[in-house]
Parts: sequence; structure tokens; C-alpha cells
Amino acid sequence: MLTVSVKWQKELFSNVEIDTTQSPYVFKCQLYDLTGVPPERQKIMVKGGLLKDDADWSKVGVKEGQKLMMMGTADEIVKAPEKGPLFAEDMPEEEQVVAVGHSAGLINLGNTCYMNSTVQCLHSVPELKSALIKYPPPVRSSAVDQSSHSLTVATRELFNDLDKNVKPVAPMRFLTALRSKYPQFAQLHNGIYMQQDAEECWTQLLFTLSLSLKSPSSSEDADTVKRLFGVDLVSRVHCAESGEESTETESVYSLKCHISQEVNHLHEGLRRGLKSELEKSSPSLGRSAIYTKDSRINDLPRYLTIQFVRFFWKRETNQKAKILRKVDYPLELDVYDLCSDDLRKRLEAPRRLLRDEEGKKLGLKTNEGSSSSTDNDVKMTDAEGSSNGSGNSSKSAPGEEDVPPEKEKHLTGIYDLVAVLTHKGRSADSGHYVAWVKQENGKWIQFDDDNPIPQREEDITRLSGGGDWHMAYICMYKARDVSM
Amino acid sequence: MAPAEPNSGGSASGGATRDQTSVKVPSKDPKKKDEKKDEDLSEEDLALKQQLELYVERVQDSDPGLQKVALESMRQEIRTATSSMTSVPKPLKFLRPHYGTLQTHYEKMEDSDLKKLLADILSVLALTMSPEGERESLKYRLLGSDGDIGSWGHEYVRNLAGEIAQEYAKRQSEEAQIDDLMELVVQIVAFHMKHNAEPEAVDLLMEVEDLDLLVEHVDSANYKRTCLYLTSSAKYLPGPDDMLVLDIAHSIYMKFEEYPRALQIALYLHNLQYVKQLFQCCNDPLMRRQFCFILARHGVTFELYEDMCAEDEEREALQEIINNTKLNEGYLTLARDIEVMEPKSPEDIYKAHLIDGRGSGGGTVDSARQNLAATFVNAFVNAGFGQDKLMTVPSEASSGGASTSWLFKNKEHGKASAAASLGMILLWDVDAGLAQLDKYFHSTDTHVIAGALLGVGIVNCNVQNECDPALALLADYVDKEDSSIKIGAIMGLGLAYAGSQNEHVRRALMPLLGDGKSSLDVIAFTAISLGLVYTGSCNEEVAQAIIFALMDRSESELGDPLARFLPLGLGLLYLGKEESVEATAEVSKTFNEKIRKHCDMTLLSCAYAGTGNVLKVQHFLGQCAQHLEKGETYQGPAVLGIAMVAMAEELGLEMAIRSLEHLLQYGEQNIRRAVPLALGLLCISNPKVNVMDTLSRLSHDADAEVAMAAIISLGLIGAGTNNARIAGMLRNLSSYYYKDASLLFCVRIAQGLVHLGKGLLTLSPYHSERFLLSPTALAGLVILLHACLDMKAIILGKYHYVLYFLVLAMQPRMLMTVDENLKPLSVPVRVGQAVDVVGQAGRPKTITGFQTHSTPVLLSAGDRAELATEKYIPLSPILEGFVILKENPEYKDDN
Repeated sequence: MLTVSVKWQKELFSNVEIDTTQSPYVFKCQLYDLTGVPPERQKIMVKGGLLKDDADWSKVGVKEGQKLMMMGTADEIVKAPEKGPLFAEDMPEEEQVVAVGHSAGLINLGNTCYMNSTVQCLHSVPELKSALIKYPPPVRSSAVDQSSHSLTVATRELFNDLDKNVKPVAPMRFLTALRSKYPQFAQLHNGIYMQQDAEECWTQLLFTLSLSLKSPSSSEDADTVKRLFGVDLVSRVHCAESGEESTETESVYSLKCHISQEVNHLHEGLRRGLKSELEKSSPSLGRSAIYTKDSRINDLPRYLTIQFVRFFWKRETNQKAKILRKVDYPLELDVYDLCSDDLRKRLEAPRRLLRDEEGKKLGLKTNEGSSSSTDNDVKMTDAEGSSNGSGNSSKSAPGEEDVPPEKEKHLTGIYDLVAVLTHKGRSADSGHYVAWVKQENGKWIQFDDDNPIPQREEDITRLSGGGDWHMAYICMYKARDVSM
Repeated sequence: MAPAEPNSGGSASGGATRDQTSVKVPSKDPKKKDEKKDEDLSEEDLALKQQLELYVERVQDSDPGLQKVALESMRQEIRTATSSMTSVPKPLKFLRPHYGTLQTHYEKMEDSDLKKLLADILSVLALTMSPEGERESLKYRLLGSDGDIGSWGHEYVRNLAGEIAQEYAKRQSEEAQIDDLMELVVQIVAFHMKHNAEPEAVDLLMEVEDLDLLVEHVDSANYKRTCLYLTSSAKYLPGPDDMLVLDIAHSIYMKFEEYPRALQIALYLHNLQYVKQLFQCCNDPLMRRQFCFILARHGVTFELYEDMCAEDEEREALQEIINNTKLNEGYLTLARDIEVMEPKSPEDIYKAHLIDGRGSGGGTVDSARQNLAATFVNAFVNAGFGQDKLMTVPSEASSGGASTSWLFKNKEHGKASAAASLGMILLWDVDAGLAQLDKYFHSTDTHVIAGALLGVGIVNCNVQNECDPALALLADYVDKEDSSIKIGAIMGLGLAYAGSQNEHVRRALMPLLGDGKSSLDVIAFTAISLGLVYTGSCNEEVAQAIIFALMDRSESELGDPLARFLPLGLGLLYLGKEESVEATAEVSKTFNEKIRKHCDMTLLSCAYAGTGNVLKVQHFLGQCAQHLEKGETYQGPAVLGIAMVAMAEELGLEMAIRSLEHLLQYGEQNIRRAVPLALGLLCISNPKVNVMDTLSRLSHDADAEVAMAAIISLGLIGAGTNNARIAGMLRNLSSYYYKDASLLFCVRIAQGLVHLGKGLLTLSPYHSERFLLSPTALAGLVILLHACLDMKAIILGKYHYVLYFLVLAMQPRMLMTVDENLKPLSVPVRVGQAVDVVGQAGRPKTITGFQTHSTPVLLSAGDRAELATEKYIPLSPILEGFVILKENPEYKDDN
């Protein structure tokens, strides 16, 4: 009989007796009683090795009073889960897109960065994507010619490719379709395709899409592109000389930001862009006179496109020269004061609602008592909204089949920046175009042809010009809406 | 008549200008004024001059009585003259023109006391007159009257010492007698030691190679300064002089019973015999405990026997301290005091919310690489705390609970690292660690078992246990079939028994080297582990075994990056052993040329690691200047070698940093890849701003390998510091490299390192005021750095667990004061930047810019602590790690 002490985890069992005539297994069973660890899970360390179940005590050399150490737990043995996790490294490439968090870049096919950046910007409009998926409509409008059709299909395919891939996509088919539809983009210079104006590409592409995506029902609202991008302007044409005044309406796809000496901010530029002077024959004076045209926005789109008029035709050098002036633009744009009185009236209710909601979100964590009162407020504005709701539901396109019936989205005149197309260089037909696009997860990605680079939000507003860095040429804002 | 003290001489009389009048020399005979006045001289000076001229004349007089008076007056004149260090004393100046006359007269004189007297004066005059290299001062001194040497002033003594040194060297070469010189030396040393000029005394004795003399002359007032000078000059001495110097310092410390310092030197000399002596001559039980703490910090395996400590109970208690069983407890006390017990998740370290715009991707799908990084980050950050948010979370449901699921969120060999990370989290806590690792032993997954084995090694790292659980558990697995299990067990043994020279481990591992069936990776890890266990032992048998294993490798195997672990294992055997490596280095010249030079560099760099040997640094620099032939890899170890050798002391370290900067500019690509790693080693856990900037620049290098090395090194220099600047840099890098999985992995590892142990740990192998170098800690670092020389094949491949070699260098950077019962005791301490006080007289302040804290406190690189209370007396003069305090019997409480 030997007496030893056994250390197990933090516990010490002193005076454990060993019956040296029995096998160590018996000793283990003794320990089982003490610790609850089954004998087969016990590891008993004696000097220089583990105690084997069938060992001979005399050979193990345990001395009276020796301290033994036991390792072992009654815990459940670790089992591998039946279905191991799926690792990004093992996945096929398409599925990795989700993990990467942004879509693919576009390969430059030789001076096609103007096109790549345009496509990337437009690609960020989900509504346009869904409209393209439905293309071609069952009944094709006769207005769509073959080249427009193929361009639209190419756009659809390209958007699809961008969503699926992690690796850069070569927009070969799209480029061919674009060039066949608009031969000016196939201009050659010394046998090389020339750099083109991205704004031109943007406008032309949208124009084509607006034609082809127009649903055959031929109602005004079915024009998807117009619904998404179109801005209705109402202009007052006034002749100071004769006192004549007339009102015109027109629809454009983008607002121009006029850049002159006095313009430092987008807002200022827009205001100037909406005012123009024109010379036309005055019926009352019987000769041509100077008319001032003062436009206001009468209807807002879901996506507001703003073009900075940075390029002008310089006759001396025979090229589109660039104005490098720094024009700041905000991440959040409010166009309320550029709107016509009519539109302002329609915007009022949604704006109030939006303000309330944001105030609530900003938290000030309204205490219990006041929360009920805000509820009342919301109800009141709700009521107000519905009273003149009929007027501003024009955006909601009642003809569309998939519009959710319950609540309607209302525009507020407040827009968030979602994409910036920048130009770097001194003239429109040279330099480099790059798209900066906000992803759905709120992160900004700079699409420099085939290379998507993450960017910080504060760097986006630094693209406002005033140097030789990339500067904003086209900004796309997305409407912040409220449902009521 | 006080001889001029070195620091009091100057102020009284000042400048060297001739019209200086402040010296009032008593003019003996005003009537003897000469009419021919020197216009420039003041009256008094002129009088003095004439007086002296008169003496010179009288000396040549035939009347011995007159001669004697003249000589004595002259002597009087010289001795009373005070002067600044920068000007020649007046009497000496005026006597200059007569030096020749006196010399010729001396030759003519007959031997007598007078002649000796004149010799004395000539000796002093020679101080200013003697032509360079003639050593006339010494010559006349030896011919002179042997009077009190100090009576001629400090400058004279110093000059004499210089001449003695020269004369000694000359006589040594001629093998002439030196007895007369030594007599003088004794006088001079005695004088210096009495007058706060210990460095001069030591210098002289070093020149005449008789330091033993010092022991007689030190007293309780100056032994500390003397030893400080000795120990710090040892770093700049060529071997074996440095050992000799330290030996003297040791005997002085022993003489004055400054045992902890003596122990330090014994450890520096790797002289365990001295350690044994200490235990034998010091009977204070508290002091002995303090010794044990110092031994434990240094990481030496030292066993107490009955002849050192007779009482069983006490011996057991002491052995427990040496075995570092208190380490975990102390560390946790520190953590609780600083309130960092709360486990941290990798996300807390990445701080992705601070990087706006660029995130870590979408993150809905697990990336094996990123999960592996998170595993390491989690292990490093929560090292030793015993709890974390991934591995030790109690499994909620019996199947698929959180803890198991994290393990299985790692892929294949990643699971090994994940299981082993549990060992890191429970670092130094053998009991709890083994209990938690137990469940993995029964897994069916070989990688998990391998990880568990490695984890056992990690838990036992730097901690010994009387039951030897690591050996008992791991030894059997070494012979298993599966190579990953084998490697886990081998590496575990290496970590657990590093530096122990454990016979059993050797017997378990050696056969693997010779086994023809072993795969290359098994052999590589065996070599490393054997190298670790026998670090710095110069063990012949192990060396032989590794050499044979190297020779057996085929040409293609030698091209594998893992094959480079074999020379490294060999090198570790000679870590810091300088010349002892030569025989093996000679053998290595016969190796296959593919590895020959690589092996040579590795051996040299290991052998001279931590010696500061300038010649070796030059040798390595020379190797780096050579053009590389295709396929050679030796320049990487050479660059690391520069850092390993130069890290010994501050000056060499600064120089090495500058040399490395040059290599960056002019070196070839493979050198540039190693430079960041070398910088990382030089400034480990010591984020110097200039190095940080260099590494930050390199972290954006066009060459991905340079960038990876720089990123890892950023982690190394910031290891355990929580340095905000490095953390910020790494955060930015994580968004910069978010697309490159390999670089991002490195960034993550570096982030984990910066927050090592939540900022409580250090990786620096140096401790005890940067005096002692822990060999196993250095070995761990060197292995990792060698592995980083080929990132892609090792750390980014399937051998990422080499990162766990860092555990060897991990130590809490704390000062923990304990009372006589070893219970934590909180006392106020001042912590500030250490000041170099070598060679300063008096009791200069040793720290600057200090703040007062109460213990336990954290010490950063270059920090030093001192007690801010008189109530206690620390038993170790170096306030680092565990320090026992005893109550000051003379302390009176003010209240």
C-alpha cells in the first residue's frame, strides 16, 4: 500500500491509497470516484511518462507521498460539426461577389474609360436594372430600331455580368453596339479610337434606353427612363423691352451646373443654369429682342443628374477646353428653392414628415411622454398628406403592375449623392474618366476601369475641382423619399 | 595640502592667459626683483618667475644645503599652484625654459636624496614638456623619491597613468620586467579610488591587465560605481577580456554582499557554478527567494540540491519559484489591477468602425484565411488571461456550441493553430490549461490533436512542473504516423523544454532526425526543437545528429524553405557561444553548396547573437554587399545576423539601424526583404519613431514580400505596447490591403502583436535593465524571423503555427512588489526614463521625467522604476518583474 497525492486541475487529493498488487486501472477507478473522470479519459503523469492501465507498479517507481498529476475531464469530446462552414476561398467565383461587397470593374478596351465610368454610374441604379430585365417587352414598340435594340440588350447583359463577377468584365459587346448606334464614338485618330466625352455617352445611352424601355402602353408614366431621370422644367420667358411674358415647359434628363467666376457651390451653379437669356423675335416689337428665361423645376425625378458645364468649345485651340474651377457639391442636396411654387406645395408635407422622422432617428431618445405627441404629429401630417395626396402621386406610376399598393413613396426634394463621374485632364476628349459609386452597403467604390478601389466618404466631396485631381463632371443624386 | 580634485580645480584660478592675476602666489623674496621686466607679466607673476629662475640657479649650486632648499622651495611652489584643467599652472610654465638645464644638471648629479628630489620635480615638469611618446614623466617618477603620488595633483596622476599604459604595452612586447610599474599602478589606483575617479582606475588596470588589484581598493562607498563601470564597459571589450571584467565585478559584488547583482553577472556569464555558490553563501531566506525570481525571469533551468538548500520544505518552495509557477498568478494580479481582465475579441482590435468607407468586406461568408488571422489575434491578445471570446466560451449547446464552432471555423491545418491557441490563452497556467486542452485529445481530427499537443507545449512554455506533464503527454505522439500530429508533439516539446537540456526530450526527438521515413517538415521541426531544448549548450551529440540529417537531404529537399530550419536548429545550439561554433562551422563547409553559405551565415549569426561584436557585423555587411548568384539565400540570415549581433547595446543598435537603411537603398531585393525583419528584432517591443517611420514606408513597398515583412515587423516593434500610432498605421493598412488576403493576414497578425496580452506583455529578450539576454526568448524570436524570410512557404502556407514560437519571448512587462510572504504588496514607485549614470560621480538621479504610481505597474522599454517610499527595502536593486520588499526597520511613520 502506497499513499500518494493526486493533483487534478486546481484540486489536490491527498492521501490516495494505491494498492500495488492491483493494476493501475483499479487506481484509476479510485480516481473516477473522486473526480468523476472516466478511467479511459484519465491521463496520469508519473515522472517521465503516462501511467498505462496494465503497467506494473513496481516498475513505475511511485514513491510514498509522491505527487501525481492527473489530466482529464468528463467534458463531452469535441466533435466536428456535421456540416462544416463554407469558406470564401472554396466558393466558385460568382458567389464571392457577395463577400467582396461590390461589383466588378470594367476593362478598358482602348480609350473607353468614358464609357466604363458612365456604365458604372448607371449600373448603380437598381430601378434601371429591373427595367432592363423586363426588356424586351412582349410587344415591341415600332419606334425602336435594330441598333437601339441591340444596345439595350447589350446594356442588360453587361449589367448582368457586372453583378455576377468579381474579376473585371470586358464590355466588348456593349462597345460594339454603342458604336454601331452612335458612330461618333467610333471616331479614329491615327488609327486609334478616340477618347470621347462621357456626358455625351451618358446622354445618348439614356436617350436610347428611354426609347427602348418605353412601355407600349404609351402612357406618359410608362416611360421608365423619364420617370427615373427626367426633370420637368417650367420656364417663364420674359422680355424686358416689351413686357411680354410666356410660360414654357420642357423635360430634361439632367440639370446643368453653370460655372462662372461667381460660382463656388453647386447650388449657385444650378441657379444660374436655370436662368438664361435668349434672343428671339418678339411678335409685339416685330424684331428680335432679348428674352430672359427663368426656369424652375416642376417635377422631380428619382435620380437627379447634374452635369457640371466644365467644357466649352474653344475656338482657338479647336477643342473642348475645361474649366478647372472648384465647385463644391454636397453629399445631401436640397433643391427645394429651385422648384416651382406648385411643386413646393406638393413637397411640403413629405418634407415635414421626413424632418420628423430624422429628428426621431437622431434620437434625442424622446422620452415616453413626448413620444405619444410625436405620434400625433405624424398622424396629422399623414392626414394633411392625404388631403393633397392626389396631386403628388404622379411619381408613383399607377399603371405599373408591381407597385406595392399599401404606401406610396413621396419625393421630398432632398437628394443623396450616389455616384460621381469625374474627369481628370485638361480637355473632354483627353484625360481620364473615373466613376465613384456608392454601394448598397453605404461604402464608396472608385471604379477606375478594371480596378475597384474602396474610398472614404469624405474623399468623395474632395472631387470638386480646383486642381489637376479628378473632378466631378456628372453627379447623380438619389431622392430621399418618405412613404406616406 | 589638498591635491586638486578633478572637479574642484578649475574654478579658483581659471584661464590660460598670461595677464591672469588672480593667483596669489606668495612671493618669497621681493628684493630679488629683476629690472628687465617682461611687459606682459604682472608684477606678481614676474616675481614668481624670477624666484623660480633663482631656484633653478641654486639647484645647480655646489652646496647641497642650498640645493636642497632650492629644490624644496621649487616643490612647494609647484604643489601650491592651483590651476584649471585647461591651463598650465604658473610655476610649471615659468620652469619650462629651464627643463633642459635641470635635465642636464640631473645627469651630472650624484645619487642622493637630492637627486631623487630633482627627479620628482623633473617628473612633474615633464608633464608639460616631455615630447610625445617619450614618457619622461614616468621615467623620472621611477627614478624619484616614491613620495605620495597624489601630492602633485590629479592631472599629474592621470598623465602618469597614461604613460604607464604605454610603457606597459612596450614592455609587454619586449617581455621586460614590470614590477616597478606595478608599484606605481597600485599607488595610482589607490589614489583614483579614493577620489571618485573609479573609471580611471579601472581603465588603468585594464591597460596593465591586472584588474584583480581592484578588489582590494573598492570600499562600500565606491563599489557600486566601480562595478557599474566594469559591467557597462564589458560590452565594448573584446573577448575574453569582457568575461574577466565581469568576473571581477562579480567578486566585488560578492565581497560587498550585493548578491542580486552578483547573480545577474553570474547569469550573464552563464556560470551556474556561481549561482550555486550564491545559494551556498547567502542564508537569508527572503534573499534566496529573490534569487529564484531572478532565475525564473531569465528562464534558466536550475535545480536546487541539498547542498544549496538543506531544508526540504524551503527547497521545494524555492524550486517552485524558479519553475515560474507564480508567473500566471502575478500576471493576473497585474491584469486585475489594471482592469483589463475583460476578454477582447479580434473585432475589438481591428476597430473597423474607425476606418470609414473601407470595411473588411461584406463578411457574410467566412474566409478561412481571415478566421485563421482572427484565431491568432485572439490568442495573442488574450494570452495568459485564461478567458477569451472565441475559444473558452462555455459551449451553450452540447453539440455545435460556440467554442467548438470557432475551432471548426478554421480549415484543415488552421484547426491545429486554433486548438493550440487555447494553450496561448491559458499560458503558464498548466493545471487549467491541460484541463481545457484535454477534450481535443479525443478528437478524431488529426489537425485538432496536433493543435492540442502544440497547446500543451505552449502552456508549459517557460514554466516547469515537477510532474513533467508535457513530456508525459507528448512523448508518445512523436512516433505517430500522421506528420501533423508529429509536428505538433515535436514543437510542443521544443517549447515546453526550451533551454532545459532535458535528456528525455533528446531521446524522444533524436531518432526522428535519422529516420529515413521522416518527411522534411518533421525533420525541420525536430531540428528546431532540439535546438531550442539545447539552446546555447554546444551539445556535440545533437549537433552531430543535425549535421547528419542535413547531409542526408537530397538536393531538391535542400531547396525547400523548410530545409533552412536545419541550420537554424544547429545554430541555436551555439546561441551566443562565440568561438565554440568554429568546429561546427568548419564542418558546415562540406555541405551541399545549396545550403552551405546559408548554413555558415546562420551559424555565425547565432553564435555571435547578443555579443555586439563589431567585426562580425562588418562581416555580415560585407556578405550583403556581394552579388547574389541565382538560388542562393544566405543574405537573408546575414541581414538578420547584423541585428542579432548588434542588438547587444544601444550604440551598436543605433549604428545597425543606420547601416540597414543603407542596405535598403543599395541592397538587392532579397536583402530588402530581410531588412524590415532585422529592424523588427533590433527594436522589439520598443517602438522607436524613426524605425516606425521606415517600416511604415516599407509597408507600402511595391514588393509584396518587403511589405509583408515590414508589416510583421511593425507588429514586432510595437508588440505588447498598445502603441496608438502603430495601431493606427495598421488599421489604415488593413483597409489599404483589404483585397490582398496574404497582406491582410500579415496586418491582422501585426495588430494582434501590438495588443499582445492587452499591452501587458513584452517580446524583448532583454531584461534586468537591458543587461541580461534570455537565450530561449531570443531563440524564439530568431526562429520566427527565419520563418518570415520566406513568408509564402511557411507562415502563409500551412506552417503558420511557427508564430507560436513567439511565446518563448513573451513575458509580462511589469513590476510586481510582494511582501515577505510573497503576497502582492502595493507601494508607490516612481517610473521614468532610465538615465545612463555610468562614470558619474556622486549619486546621480537614475530616472528622469518620472511619474509616481502604485505597484503593480507596467514598465515600457527604457523605463526604470524606483521605490517612492522609505518604508520598504527592495531585495533586488533592479525593480523589474517580481521584487520582494521587506520592511525598513529604520523607517518611522510621520504620524
